[in-house]
Amino acid sequence: MKSKKFLIGLALVGGVAVGFSADVPTPDQVKQLKEMGILPSDVIVDEGNDYFHNLKGPNGKTCASCHGQDGAKLVGAYAKMPRYYKDIDKVADIDIRIKACMTKYMGFPKDKKFKKKFTKKYRVPLAGYVATLSNGMKINVTLDDPQEKEMYEFGKKLWYQRVGGRDLSCAICHEVYAGYRIRLQKLGAPVRDKLYAHWPAYRFSKDKLWTMEDRIRGCYKSYFLYLGKKWDKKKDWVKKPPYYMKELVALELFMKKAANGATVEVPGLLR
Amino acid sequence: MKKVLFTGLVVGLGAIVACQAPASKAEQKAEKPAKKMSKEEKFRAALAKQDKYQKACSNEKQLIPEGISIEQFKKDMLATIKYPEGGVVGDWKKGEKLFGDPKKGGKGLGNCYACHCGDPSIIACGNIGPSLTGYGKSGADPKVTYQRIYNPWSVNPCSAMFRFGVHGILSPEQIAHITAFLHDPNSPINK
Repeated sequence: MKSKKFLIGLALVGGVAVGFSADVPTPDQVKQLKEMGILPSDVIVDEGNDYFHNLKGPNGKTCASCHGQDGAKLVGAYAKMPRYYKDIDKVADIDIRIKACMTKYMGFPKDKKFKKKFTKKYRVPLAGYVATLSNGMKINVTLDDPQEKEMYEFGKKLWYQRVGGRDLSCAICHEVYAGYRIRLQKLGAPVRDKLYAHWPAYRFSKDKLWTMEDRIRGCYKSYFLYLGKKWDKKKDWVKKPPYYMKELVALELFMKKAANGATVEVPGLLR
Repeated sequence: MKKVLFTGLVVGLGAIVACQAPASKAEQKAEKPAKKMSKEEKFRAALAKQDKYQKACSNEKQLIPEGISIEQFKKDMLATIKYPEGGVVGDWKKGEKLFGDPKKGGKGLGNCYACHCGDPSIIACGNIGPSLTGYGKSGADPKVTYQRIYNPWSVNPCSAMFRFGVHGILSPEQIAHITAFLHDPNSPINK
């Protein structure tokens, strides 16, 4: 076990993502890497910290203006998300909640231009930072609101829905064949193994921090969803659902509820 | 005259028409160019395009169809299979490239190595499906092999393997080439 950890460490130091175990590193291994000071995701979280305290909206407010220095009032918030928010009257995940805060309370415009900038620039660092404020706390998603219950059932339906050119569902890979390999990549079991506790996660293969929205969009790309009579890679491939869609939140709620009781340890670290 | 006016309206307000009662043929024609789907709409429409059989497999068991007998399911799936003119056994060398080209690390249109092992020289192979090394020596009927690739659900309802032929991911000719790759005694699968 020790030598495996050492190998992973070595591969990371060398900046090599190939050749080491495809398994998700354990929290212990992440901790060890943290001590060595080589977690690239920390840089992204620091960027989020900077936005949180210093990025002013058109009306002069920062995130910290409402949520307190060092996000004092947001401690534990991520452990309960996605959930229903009265002020925006919808069930929101972390991505949507932050976007709504910025447009509703900081005065950023609700237009396409800001949406794009938010998605590309602010979303992941801020989500990463806010998520870390719940580190060490137990995930506790409750379905108190009827909208949450409805969203959960919708997520469950999507989880088992076989569809697209590859007749896939989330469950066929990540439940029925969880633990098996696609080529050399082991399939994780987010529901059974409560993997949500490690999301948002940094992926070495992409050199990016991903929220669960990014992850689900990536999965749907491999479904080969199409609209025409036959699947056509060039013309007719409906690759990824756009960000902030209800479908993404529903699947997040379904998976996070399954992770109840697990301790938030983010950002996670993946191949 | 009224009809002309209405058709004009339809062109302008294609999105609204979609929510209304079924339109006549002329109106449907007018609707087409006006309606451009957003990415959200496209995704939802593609998700909704679930066929009867996918729906039957969308249960918590995943591998056993619900609401239809297994016999009927298999029979219906067998009826979807089209066969190539040149027979179900094609050119194994072409099949090798489709199965997963050894020169490209086992990548190919069929992407078979994602789930199956085959040519022992390709080490990066998945284990969701059974290993196919030595498959040709098993005595399987090439026609059944062809059917299993074209529509795996004709043999194993709701299996994780894609219905390559049904969706058009592989053409009948391409499936015949892969069948040859699996059966030919000179193929690295059987050496």
